[in-house]
Amino acid sequence: MFLFAADASNPMSVQILPLATAVVVALVTVIVLSLFVWPTIAKGLDERNEKILGEIKAAEDARANAKAAQEEFERKLVQAQQDADAMIKEARAQAQKAADDLRARSEAELAELKKRANAEMDAARRQAVAELEAHAAELAVSVASKILGRAIDAKDQKALVEQSIKEFASTGR
Amino acid sequence: MTTLLLAAGDNPLGHVLDRDSALSIEGTRLTLSMISLVVGALVCITVLMMAARRIKTGPSSEGNARFVTKGRIAQVIEVIVLGLRDQMLVPVMGERLAKAWLPLLLSLFFFILTLNLFGLVPFADLQEMLHVMMGQHDQAAHDMAHTQPAAVFFGGTATASLSVTLGLAVISFCAIWWQSFRDLGVKGTIEHLCGGHDLVHGSIGLWAVIPIIFVVEIGGMFIKPAALAIRLLANMVAGHTLMAVLFSFGAGVLKAGGPTWAAGSITLVAGIFAVLITFLELFVAFLQAFIFMFLTAVFISLMAHEDHGHEEHAHDQGHGGHDHGGSGHAVPSPAH
Repeated sequence: MFLFAADASNPMSVQILPLATAVVVALVTVIVLSLFVWPTIAKGLDERNEKILGEIKAAEDARANAKAAQEEFERKLVQAQQDADAMIKEARAQAQKAADDLRARSEAELAELKKRANAEMDAARRQAVAELEAHAAELAVSVASKILGRAIDAKDQKALVEQSIKEFASTGR
Repeated sequence: MTTLLLAAGDNPLGHVLDRDSALSIEGTRLTLSMISLVVGALVCITVLMMAARRIKTGPSSEGNARFVTKGRIAQVIEVIVLGLRDQMLVPVMGERLAKAWLPLLLSLFFFILTLNLFGLVPFADLQEMLHVMMGQHDQAAHDMAHTQPAAVFFGGTATASLSVTLGLAVISFCAIWWQSFRDLGVKGTIEHLCGGHDLVHGSIGLWAVIPIIFVVEIGGMFIKPAALAIRLLANMVAGHTLMAVLFSFGAGVLKAGGPTWAAGSITLVAGIFAVLITFLELFVAFLQAFIFMFLTAVFISLMAHEDHGHEEHAHDQGHGGHDHGGSGHAVPSPAH
């Protein structure tokens, strides 16, 4: 199949010297590259691979942490909303109670005031009636004295007063 | 230039095949492929060393930037190494074998790639042109016509020489059988050559096929690496020959006594096609380096486990890809 000869014009000719050179040079190349190149490249690639894997793992961890933190935040947010709702409800209840208390107290005070005013009015009325009665008695005595032309003594005066009062009472009521 | 074209028109293969250089050691004339091998190895080692320095993790003072590869060539090499390792070799060979053989396989790939890419640069033709321009065109034309370039020190495609590709295949051969003896041992290797453990220790009635399998396996021992060598050689020679033929059209017109403008026009058109074919050649340079490396990896992985012997025969007999039960790695058929 192969022609071991120095005939370079034949593509299938094989010359020992180039063949041996190819073997030796290729072997030397393989040895040099195996010693000085591939270990360095493999180490660099492996370190980068580890770095990338580490970064991916760290990113995944950070993502998991962020997700957990977000869930915690959302949970706390829901809790805070519930607390806020409860506080608002409680505040409303307290306000309602305070308003009710205030209204009750106002109504009580108002009733007291009304009662007091009524009492005062009754007292004033009674006083006015008493004063009017007194004044009417004096006026009746005075008129009677003038009509009789004489002074009436205490006995007459008393009798007149009582009579006047009776009459006044019978006519006034 | 006309002289060069005329000379080129004589034999397109003269520009493709290996030939003697102007250098000699103690009376022994070195071929261009030998010099290309040495220069290619130096360039390959230098470039890869520079790339390794840039891929290596930098000092911690650089922060996260220490993990970033600097330089485009280093980045390209890194991508190639990662792709070959993680996408090709580990799935085919498994972690253990890939780790063990990665240095050899990657070295073979980059070395062959360097030699293939050197072939795309017309170093030898440039030296001949320089020779002509320096006033020695008659001698140069004479030399080229007889494939004896007196002024060429370096150039050509080393992998377009069967001597070189066979030399590379010898390394693959040694690697394949080293793996076989290391993993299977002498007894296991012999069993493998006889059809595998199951067949040898199986039914006596099947022993009749053992001699046939043995002959086939012995033949395969040599045919596999030889196929690697010839495949690489043929692909590199074919593309370069096509380009040389394209450029020889103009010279052919001149030689036939045609007008210069016709030769120029044809050469222009041929040049356009040559540019297109150069892109194809660039692809082929990568592809063939990969195929050589990948098939070596496949052949090595076939020798990895004793219980794969039976499957290998099915594989060799054209049953295509199969799963290596033990390691669980799908090995594509090498018979392409």
